[in-house]
Order: sequence, then structure tokens, then C-alpha cells
Amino acid sequence: MAIQVQYYLLLSAAMFCIGLFGILTRRNALLFLMSVELMLNAANVNLVAFSFQYGNITGQVFSLFTMALAAAEVAVGIGIILVLYRNFKDVDVTKAATMRW
Amino acid sequence: MAAEEIPLVFEFAPAIAVLPALSLVVALFFGEYFPKKGAEAGILATAGSLVLSLIMLATVAGGQTVNHELYTLVLGVSEETFGLHLGILIDPLSALMLTIVSLISFLVHVFSMGYMNDEGETGLPRYYGELGLFTASMLAFVMADNILMAFMFFELVGLASYLLIGFWFRDAGPPSAAKKAFLVTRFGDYFFLVGVVGIFATFFPATSTPGMFAGEHAFPVVAEHALAGEATVNTFGFEPQTWFTILGLLVLGGVIGKSAQFPLHSWLPDAMEGPTPVSALIHAATMVAAGVYLVARMYGFYALSPTALGVIALTGGFTALFAATMGVVKQEIKQVLAYSTISQYGYIMLGLGGGGYVAAVFHLTTHAVFKALLFLGAGSVIIAMHHNENMWDMGGLKEKMPVTYYSFLSGSLALAGIIPFAGFWSKDEVLFETLVHGLGTPTASSTLLLIGYAFGLVAVFFTGFYTFRMVFLTFHGEPRTDTAEDPHGVRWNVKAPLAVLGVLAATVGFINMTPVAELTGAHIEFLHQWLDMAPEEYLTNVHHYTEVLETASHYEAAHISPLAPGAVSLALALGGAGLAYQLYGTAAHPEPHTEKLGSIRTLLMHNYYLDEFQVWLATGVTYRVARAANTFDQGVVDGVVNGVSSVSLFSGSRVRRIQSGVVSNYASLITLSLVLLIAFFGIMGGWF
Amino acid sequence: MTTRPELNLGEHLLAGLAAVALFAVMAAVFVSAGFGQPAGFGDGSITASIGYALFAMTDLAAHESESFLVAFEIIDIVLVAALVGAVMLARRESEGSLVTALTDGGRDTDDGGEN
Repeated sequence: MAIQVQYYLLLSAAMFCIGLFGILTRRNALLFLMSVELMLNAANVNLVAFSFQYGNITGQVFSLFTMALAAAEVAVGIGIILVLYRNFKDVDVTKAATMRW
Repeated sequence: MAAEEIPLVFEFAPAIAVLPALSLVVALFFGEYFPKKGAEAGILATAGSLVLSLIMLATVAGGQTVNHELYTLVLGVSEETFGLHLGILIDPLSALMLTIVSLISFLVHVFSMGYMNDEGETGLPRYYGELGLFTASMLAFVMADNILMAFMFFELVGLASYLLIGFWFRDAGPPSAAKKAFLVTRFGDYFFLVGVVGIFATFFPATSTPGMFAGEHAFPVVAEHALAGEATVNTFGFEPQTWFTILGLLVLGGVIGKSAQFPLHSWLPDAMEGPTPVSALIHAATMVAAGVYLVARMYGFYALSPTALGVIALTGGFTALFAATMGVVKQEIKQVLAYSTISQYGYIMLGLGGGGYVAAVFHLTTHAVFKALLFLGAGSVIIAMHHNENMWDMGGLKEKMPVTYYSFLSGSLALAGIIPFAGFWSKDEVLFETLVHGLGTPTASSTLLLIGYAFGLVAVFFTGFYTFRMVFLTFHGEPRTDTAEDPHGVRWNVKAPLAVLGVLAATVGFINMTPVAELTGAHIEFLHQWLDMAPEEYLTNVHHYTEVLETASHYEAAHISPLAPGAVSLALALGGAGLAYQLYGTAAHPEPHTEKLGSIRTLLMHNYYLDEFQVWLATGVTYRVARAANTFDQGVVDGVVNGVSSVSLFSGSRVRRIQSGVVSNYASLITLSLVLLIAFFGIMGGWF
Repeated sequence: MTTRPELNLGEHLLAGLAAVALFAVMAAVFVSAGFGQPAGFGDGSITASIGYALFAMTDLAAHESESFLVAFEIIDIVLVAALVGAVMLARRESEGSLVTALTDGGRDTDDGGEN
């Protein structure tokens, strides 16, 4: 008896919301990056779960691509954080507010 | 539009206008390098124009005319559109006018050498350039074959007059007078422009060339067919004749402005601020003549509308008397002449309105000659008097400057209308034509004509009076000042034009001696025959106009002898002149008799307070209305706009606080929105 | 200074609650949804199937899927671009010469003050 897919979805939603919680409550840009990783992996869990649900390998392949893209995203994100630090002497995201009105 | 069969000589017709235009360029840019500062270019160019005009005159006399398209401004691309073009129309009327204009402007150029160069004026290249522009635009206006081209050059004439009146722009008076002339004539031209557009809109589908003056497809002819029910034109819901009257009156607005008719005459006396040769040109040949020439040019159109004719006659007659009374009290020689010009153009308008097409053209011709003469004579006097224009400072100039005196006398006799000088024949014919049509016409417009005739007849007396008052004060008696005692001499370049014009003023009236023709039965109405020579297909000849006047306007001539009316007007003119002699000619030191008129004199000196009235219209009415409108605009219109903008400004300044620039806040908003969205869809879709 | 990793709610309580609310809504939806029994995978290597799918040889694979050769190549380009972009962002200009972030550890030498 295989596990019902909605439990995977619950797991995924929990991971996503934990990541979101991190983004909403933290001010450190590095922690932002970690939280985003968590949210991406929540999506991966979804993909794999539905791959199993429909017996189709596409979801699993897709999650591999997502991981590759996550690597790219982290590379760019780290670069942005470096620039942020250089300009604001800090990685606190609430301070980088000079482009608002 | 028979472009293929133009006689070779007409290929040179555009050069009549192009030559003075070239002199504009030459005088303006290279005038400094000429010994006479550009006068050479102007004289050569106008002499060339004069020669070419005389050749045209001879060619037209030989029975050849031209009416063809020269340059296409806008090509009509299909059946639904029409083209706009420049073209030339040389028929007896325009050939005559070309000759007059180029003759006068040639003489004015020569005279200018005496008036401007010898007096050491500066800015002469500009002066001669503007003179060239003035002449060129008038000549092009005269030979225009369609009303749009006429309008364009009509405006150019106005521009050139503005430049020339304001020639001495460093003084206070001339720029202001120039602006006044420009604005007042522009006010009239506005109506003219509306009329031009109206004519194009009215006659387009009916003819492919709605603006043409002459020919089977010209608008006067199409209008005539429309009245006869043979053609359909776009009359915007009016009866054709009513609509043609409206169009005619719109165009007449431009005429009234340019020809200085009441109530738009007030620019002309002020325009005396310009150099005297320019005044001569404006009054005799160009600016002012343009207005009445336009009426004569499209006479076939006006002849269709008795109302428009009546308005023209009444305006003309009233202006003739109105201006003549003001001329009575003026002290400056040029002012008297200015009012006489307004008055004389009133006569021309009266003649046109009264059905006397030939008479009006005749008076236009003779007036051009004798008024140019009088102005140049006045210019000569002004040179002699060291630019003092007040007649009370003159006197006794007769012995000192005989050439000026005798030519000026010739012009004055012509102006006053004393037999046998030019003015008598033409003015008498104008009055006679008005009278016979006024008496003979059965419809209501006869009253208008008779009123106009009465005005004109009374004005004859005033004309005789002010003319000879001017002559006696200027030339007779004893010198009243030291300058008049020892006047500045004038040279050949002043005397020669005066002599030429003096002889012409005495003789040009012989071209159409209607009373003599009537009396002897001899066919010596040369001008009548000349104007009647216009080719049949142009439909601009005199017998066609007479026909149209009879059928469309019901003008009919009463059969009375020209002798009695002629004798009456001659007696009135002599009476006026005699009164002037009694008052000013007998004493060595004449009394200022007009001061006995008391308050009437004050009224006349102030030109019936018309300037004040117009200023009051501007400041008392227009300014107040404008201020009220401004208040409304500032308060209500701007208030609404400002209200709307302040509402959005306020709400924007509040709403923008959402944009804190902090990423977390944005993320929170997105999250909350997502929660709400999912909850909404869940509830609506029954997911829970 | 960077904040230390500690749970410092207070001002962020409302934002945290938003995340919790999102989880609640999603959990409610998922739990009430019925998906049926999963199909699952039968015999055959899943890993081998993924490899075939990546190189567009799905006819050899044990499990059904689509071909991802183009996506695979594009991901390659994206990764290179991201790498280059990251290096571009990280390096900086110091006294006219380009210095990479790696050589100075990302500190601001102009602001150091001691040397």
C-alpha cells in the first residue's frame, strides 16, 4: 500500500511555508538564499510525488533540472549579495531601500 | 485652361511680378554696394515690369488673352478632390491694372531717390527691398487667376505694407501705425479667408476648378448657372442667392479692410507715418486698390446678389461722405490726402455696388494717377519744408516750386472733379451709373443705391472744399514760416514723376468721356470698349455683367441724360472749391476758419471718435469679457483640473507608503494575497 | 553587521503568521482533495530511464517520459551564464584595475583606514 499523494503534498507545503517563514522574518540576505533553497526543494518534492502518482518519469527529470537551476540561482544570488554588501556595508535586506520612492 | 495654345508673349507675363521680386533680393542683399543703395534694382525691375505690362496691354488689344495654370500647389488626385494652383489671367481688366501698378511703382521708385536718398536716410536697401516686395505681390495679385492665389498675394501686400509703414521703426509712431494697419486689415482678411474656403466648399463638386475667376468653370459662372437651376452647388441649406450673398459679404470683409472702407478705415490715416513715396504707392496703386480690384475681378459673382451690391454701394457712399467731412478740418497735408483716398475709394465701391463696373474701373484708373500725383507732390512739398507737414506753416510755395505747384494743381482739379480733369469724368460716371440704376431698378435695392448716391453727391461738395483748402493753404498767400520763405530745392528725380503724372491727371479722363459720347453720338468710350473686349469664353466682359445684373439682381437703367447729373456734381464741386477760395484763397494770411465750427470741428478732428470707440471696444468690452473668461478659466476649469490632480497626488502620496523598499514587506504582501486568493478560490470552488 | 540566526519575531510576527496561514489554507485544500491510488512504477531501473529521457532515447527506457535533450543543453548554457554572471557581479574595480571578489575577500579596501 503506497502512501497517498496528499501526504507528500502536505510535506511539500510545510517545507514551502517554512522557507517562506524564513523569508518573511529574517533580515539577512544569506538566510534569504537558504530559505529560497528550501522553497525550491518543496517544489521538487511535489514533482517527484506526482511523478510517482502518474507513473511517469518526467517529474523526476524535471526536479533534476530544478536543482541545476537552483545552483545557477545561488551563484547569481551570492553575487548579488556581494554587491549588496559592497554598497551598503551590510547584508541586511531592509537597508537596501534606496530605490523606493 | 488651354495651356497648349498660349501666345508666346504671355510666357513672359510671370516676369512682370518676378522682376520686382528679384529686385527685393538684389536690393536687400547687395543694395549696400550700389551707389543708390538698391534703387537701381527697383527702378530697372519696375521699368521692366512696365514695359512688359505695356506689351501685355498691346497684346490684349490685339485680341489675345490668357487664362492658364502655371504652377500646381496641390494636385487633385481623383474625382473627389480638386487641385490648387497658381496661374495667370490676363484679360483687359488685369492688363489695365498691371500697367497702372507698374507705372505708379516705377515713378515711386524714381521719386524715392529724391525723397529718401537725397535726404540721407539710412536703411535704404531694406526700403527698396520692401518696395520691391510690395510691387511684386500686388502685381501677382492682379494677375491671379484664382481666388486662393489672390488671397495669398493679398496677404503678402498686407505684409509689405506693414513693413513699409513701420520703416522708421526707431520712432514711436510708425511701428504702432504699422501694427494697426496690419491688425485692422487682418481683421477683414479673416472674413476673406472664410469666404475663400466657403467658395471652395460650395463650388467644388460642380466644377473641378472652384477658385477660378474666369472661364466656363469659374465660380461666378457656376454660381450663375446654379441660380438659373442649371447646376447644383453645395449651399449648406440656404437658398442659392442667400448663400451667394453670404459668401460675397465674407469676401467683402477683406475688401473693406484693405480698401479702408467704413468701419475698417482707421488704419489708413495712421499709415501716413510711413515714408511719403510709400503712401503714394499704398494709396494709388497697391494696398488700397487691391480691395476694390478684387470686387471688380469677381464682379460676375457680386452681380448675382442685389443685397451684396446694395451693401457695397451703401458702404461706399457712406464712406465717401464720412471721410470727406473729416478731411475738411485736417491740418497736415498728408492727412487730408489720406481722408480723400478713403473717400475716393468709397466712390469706387459705390460705382461697383451701383452697377457701374466700367465707371468703377475708370475711377480706379484715374484715381491711381491723380492720387499718386498728389502724394508725390505732397512729398515734394514735405522735402521743401524740411519734413514739416502742417499746412498752416506753409503758404506761398507757388512761386518757389512751380513744377510741383502746377502738377499738384492738376491733381487737385482731378480730385475735386472739375471738368475736364480726369476725376470729373470718372466720378461723374460713378454717380451717374448709381443714379440711373437707383432710379430704374424696380426692387428694394434701388433705395440703397439712391441713399448711396445722395451721400456721394454731398461728398462732392466736401471734396471740392478740402482739396482747394489744401491747395490754397499750401501754395497760395504769403509764406507763414521761415522754412516756407526759403524752401529746400528738389531735383529732377522728384520733378520728373510729378510732370508725367501731372499730364496724365489732366488727360487720362479722356479715355471714357461718357457724357460727350452721349451728346455727340461718337464712339469714344474707349475704356468701356476695352473692358468689353474680354473673350466670350471668360465671361468677364461688360455686356455679360450687364446681363447678369439684369437677370439676377434686376438692375435696370433709367434712361436719363447724363448732362443734368453731371452738371449738378460739377456745380457742387465748384461750389466747394469756391467756398475754399472765399475762405482761404483771397487773404494773404488766411484765417483758420474751421475753428468756427466749434464742437463739430473737435468731433471731426477726432475722426468721429471712432478710434476712441474702437479702443473702448477693446478695453471696455473685449478686455472685460476676456477677464471674465480668464476668471472662469482660472477658477472653474483650472479648479476642476487642479482638484483632480490634487486628489490623485494625495492618494498617491498615501498609497506609495506601501512601497517601503524592504523585500520582506513585499513578500508579506504577496503571501497574504496568495492566502486570500487560495481561500477565495477554495470557497468558490468548494475545495474544502 | 549581519544578524545572527536567532528567532527574533516581534516586528515580524504578522509576517510569520501569514506564512502559517498559507500553510493552513494549503493543508486544508490538500487534505480534502482525493487523488486516488498512485500508479507507481513497475519493474525496470528508474535511474536508467531518467538517463534515457535526458538524452532523448525514450524508446529504450523502461518507464514512460518525454525527451529533454534541448532542455538539457539549455540548462548547460544557463549554468555557464549564471557562473559568468556571478563572477561579473562579484568582481569590482579598484584603482583602475579589475579585481575579483576572490582576491580580497569582498572587503572594501577604501574603507579600511588602517593601511
